[in-house]
Amino acid sequence: MITRLLLISFLISGLAIAATEDQQIATRRKALELAGAFANDGFKLRDGHWSGSIKTGEAKVVLVNLYAGNEYWFTVAAGPEAKKVSIKIYDEQGALVECDPYAESTTAAAGFTAAASGPYYIKIEETEGDPTAFCLVYSYK
Amino acid sequence: MTRRFLILVTASMLAGFLTSVSAQNADQLTKEEISNAEVVDHISFPIPGELFTALDKHGKPDWSAQFRTPIAAIYTNRTQIALNLGGLIADGYLAVEAQDGQQVKNIARDIKVISKPLGVEQDLLNRANSIIDFAEKGNWDTLTEELEAVQNEVVIAMLQHQDKELVTMVMLGGWVRGTEILSSHLSTHYKPEAAKLLRQPKIVDFFVKRLADMPKKVTNSSFMNKIRLSLFDLRKAVTFPNEAIPTAEEVKKIAEIAANISNIIATKE
Repeated sequence: MITRLLLISFLISGLAIAATEDQQIATRRKALELAGAFANDGFKLRDGHWSGSIKTGEAKVVLVNLYAGNEYWFTVAAGPEAKKVSIKIYDEQGALVECDPYAESTTAAAGFTAAASGPYYIKIEETEGDPTAFCLVYSYK
Repeated sequence: MTRRFLILVTASMLAGFLTSVSAQNADQLTKEEISNAEVVDHISFPIPGELFTALDKHGKPDWSAQFRTPIAAIYTNRTQIALNLGGLIADGYLAVEAQDGQQVKNIARDIKVISKPLGVEQDLLNRANSIIDFAEKGNWDTLTEELEAVQNEVVIAMLQHQDKELVTMVMLGGWVRGTEILSSHLSTHYKPEAAKLLRQPKIVDFFVKRLADMPKKVTNSSFMNKIRLSLFDLRKAVTFPNEAIPTAEEVKKIAEIAANISNIIATKE
């Protein structure tokens, strides 16, 4: 009986991990699709990405180091459980940077030209919906 | 009546205050958000391609002047191999910017040779071969994508081999070589606006802290001790206010420190 319970719990946890991985692959694909639009405007897409899970009311912040004069687009996509996501860029003092916004339910993007070289912070929030996966990519020119 | 009016006024003022506080919060990260911000190897560090893109806005430099003599390519210390691998990837970007197909092919071959002892050579073999193909065809845009893919595949392979310290070494080697190329170019072609690109305090901070937290077996060697000491000098040199412009002398100082670290990395232990 105990062995059977262990086996069932092992299978369930295995399925949960597979589902999370699938979600992350799907959100990455969505982020890349949106970022692809910027490639038409001469932006080069970085091969790296940042993914994880997110829920309403819990912001995710990542540090990036940028070069003055370069134009950047940061693109995030969330899983179908999200209803709305947002993305904001902050300078090294933590002040909000003015940027070109784009948002459509489970995807959002923010574009700007770095005024100074150095660290910036990218903040992602799920403003409506259930816990889900997200993926962030960025492009530059 | 007066009491009700006072309550209404107070409530309205309180609502206004709370709205204002909320708007301020949306416009400003908290100290906790800044200090707890994630640092992700794949995204938090600029790749050399971003650096070259930024510098190209200040003119079209003669990148071939920054080529260096080939490194030994035969190292036994894994830490030193990883550092040199990062430097070679930066050299690859430089050769692409210079549009020198032969140099790109030489570097791709060096990357294949140097990676063997790390156990990631199979992951790199196909990429290195396609880099050679693209270099022969002069497909420069695709080459920069391939070079970034090389770096990412190295990182993924190292993480799979539980070699997260080596990932840091690849990033460090690439960043030092990139800084050396930029500062060396600006030493001879000084432009105040371009000199501002040298400001990257958080990156050196990150490397200094990561190296301090590493197991002694990784950092306890003569060359790593020298690198760690020189990184303190480099941190001081590239940390300046964001509106400040480094002078030509300060740029030369950065170039000297970065070149010194590059030499330590390339000199066989």
